[in-house]
Amino acid sequence: MPRILAVDIPGNKKLPYALRYIYGIGPTLAKEIVEASGLDEDRRAKDLTEEEINKLAEIIIERGIRTEGDLRREVTGNIKRLIAIQCNRGIRHRRSLPVRGQRTKTNARTRKGKAKAIAGKKK
Amino acid sequence: MSRSVKKGFYVDPGLWKKVIKAQETDDRRPIKTWSRRSLITPEFVGLNIDVYNGKQFLPVHVTENMVGHRLGEFSLTRTFRGHAGSNKK
Repeated sequence: MPRILAVDIPGNKKLPYALRYIYGIGPTLAKEIVEASGLDEDRRAKDLTEEEINKLAEIIIERGIRTEGDLRREVTGNIKRLIAIQCNRGIRHRRSLPVRGQRTKTNARTRKGKAKAIAGKKK
Repeated sequence: MSRSVKKGFYVDPGLWKKVIKAQETDDRRPIKTWSRRSLITPEFVGLNIDVYNGKQFLPVHVTENMVGHRLGEFSLTRTFRGHAGSNKK
């Protein structure tokens, strides 16, 4: 399995799809990167030569695209800031409730976690 | 959707005047306002603003980190005291 940017090991998929296994690279960026590299987008990630892998990595770095650790750190930093300034969004993060105004009467299970049964609640 | 850049930022004109005056005279007495929709600009930093939440004025001390948010974000409008019968684990 090839490695791009030291950590990521995209599978034996076509290039635009393989690149998406890197945290911070989605469909659009992946496609742009492949196009910029001039590589054939039908090639599989495993048949790339060292040189071609370096080229892809170079493009990602050159464009200042934040990936993996850097990006994760930025995101948690942003959330920390929201919590520190005591704004509504920060409070929603702290209480792990939805942040963007969704309803919480029902649903919102992704943020709230698995439903807890409430004793004695019938009809 | 975010606000069009062409329009510039929005601060309630009356509040804006008070903010500028407070900064010029270095007056740190809280400014009462109902204008929750006003954007916090760098001029607000260091001031105390009392932001109305529909019931009372909640004091907000503006710090640098708050620039770019709106006043209303710091003055919550809902009270949640827990559900009936959930006497904590």
